[in-house]
Amino acid sequence: MKMVEPPQEMDRRSFVKKVLGGTIAGSLFLVFPMDGDGINFQEGLPSGELPEEIPGIKNRRYDIHNQKFAFIVDITRCIGCGSCCVADKREYQVPDGNYRTWVERYIKDFDDQVYVDCPDGGLDGYQKPRDDIPVDARDTFFVPKLCNMCKEPPCTQVCPVGATFISPDGFVLMDNDRCVGCAYCIQACPYSARFLHPVTRITEKCTWCYHRIRKGLLPACVEVCPTGARKFGSLNDEQSEVYKILKGPGVLTVLKQSMGTWPALYYMGQRLEVI
Amino acid sequence: MSKHALHLIVVMVSIVAMAGAGLALKARFIPESFGLYGAYRADAIDEEARRAVRHGTNASCFGCHPYEATIHLEGDHTTISCEFCHGTYSDHITDKKKTGTLPVKKGQEITTLCLRCHNTEIKARSTIVIKTVGMPDHLAKQNVKVTHTCNQCHHVHAPLKYINEAKKITGLMEAES
Repeated sequence: MKMVEPPQEMDRRSFVKKVLGGTIAGSLFLVFPMDGDGINFQEGLPSGELPEEIPGIKNRRYDIHNQKFAFIVDITRCIGCGSCCVADKREYQVPDGNYRTWVERYIKDFDDQVYVDCPDGGLDGYQKPRDDIPVDARDTFFVPKLCNMCKEPPCTQVCPVGATFISPDGFVLMDNDRCVGCAYCIQACPYSARFLHPVTRITEKCTWCYHRIRKGLLPACVEVCPTGARKFGSLNDEQSEVYKILKGPGVLTVLKQSMGTWPALYYMGQRLEVI
Repeated sequence: MSKHALHLIVVMVSIVAMAGAGLALKARFIPESFGLYGAYRADAIDEEARRAVRHGTNASCFGCHPYEATIHLEGDHTTISCEFCHGTYSDHITDKKKTGTLPVKKGQEITTLCLRCHNTEIKARSTIVIKTVGMPDHLAKQNVKVTHTCNQCHHVHAPLKYINEAKKITGLMEAES
């Protein structure tokens, strides 16, 4: 019986070719920034060594359907310095008189009267105590406010042109090309987080610094907070502070829970009076 | 051929023409990425993600300022962002080149900046988080002129640096005498 000699040499060669090809292609996949969603991660990034502040995002494929983020504000640590407001204004060059984030000062007296003020959104910090209150203060605290990133956002429901939407990774964002500036969303937002830009006449809102998050950086306000009152992190990362807080037994509240907006912004040490 | 055939053809042709016009207009006016994730333009997400980052991190400043980094990281002000007091990274560096000088705070500006956080009079400040002082009581208590600015005793990057050094020196002097 005649054995048919298989073309072994050719087989080996093609095998090696295929394996090598696959390996090289695979390693290139890892070396080059994966811009599966069309993002060049180095674009617009400050040079120099940047730490990976949110693990698992930098130079990785960003699976937009499998992301979960949370923002926690610890009222008991906020000292009302206004760093966050300054950083926010600088990061987005927010026009004067409009605020993507701001810090309110609450004062409660012994008759449970509540006095709230917020001079210039807290941009200059709180340099002076309030002298227009005749009574003794029982409890005074600062409350930083920003977009609540509702899971059931009223603002996206009212937009007539589909210019604001909730992205698959849970951010309520704006489409600056589609917005017609009708301001329905500004009226719909129960947290007053939106404003109409006086020059472009389109709505702007806090995005939790989406552009920074997608590059693995923390939001600007979290970055500059000196006391750690603002915390941000991915819930896919079990080592992150927010994951541990959310899993832990501490009391977390949201603003205007009864409105059923299901915010992803949680408050620690929040008082009942804060709305 | 029936005498109504022409009517039928006219109706059919107009339906086709209108459907074609409708499809053409739809293709023209609906953005390319509309409906990928929902009833919105999915490209808007990428556009937002591509926005230029203006704030760096403290690490991006320390790369070129190692002296300041050493002092800043040793002291009690490690959690303070460089950019809060000095200005944003992007106003200073563009494409790895220095394009602007960030202002340095001087004199009374420094005291104002310090008191944004360290003012006892603002009762809402948590004492667990931060040490606060009342002005000008603090200056009087330390036996210095009321015109003194904070940075005349406190290093702004490491507030207790000089204080602790002075304490060490005076401690030594006391031990020797």
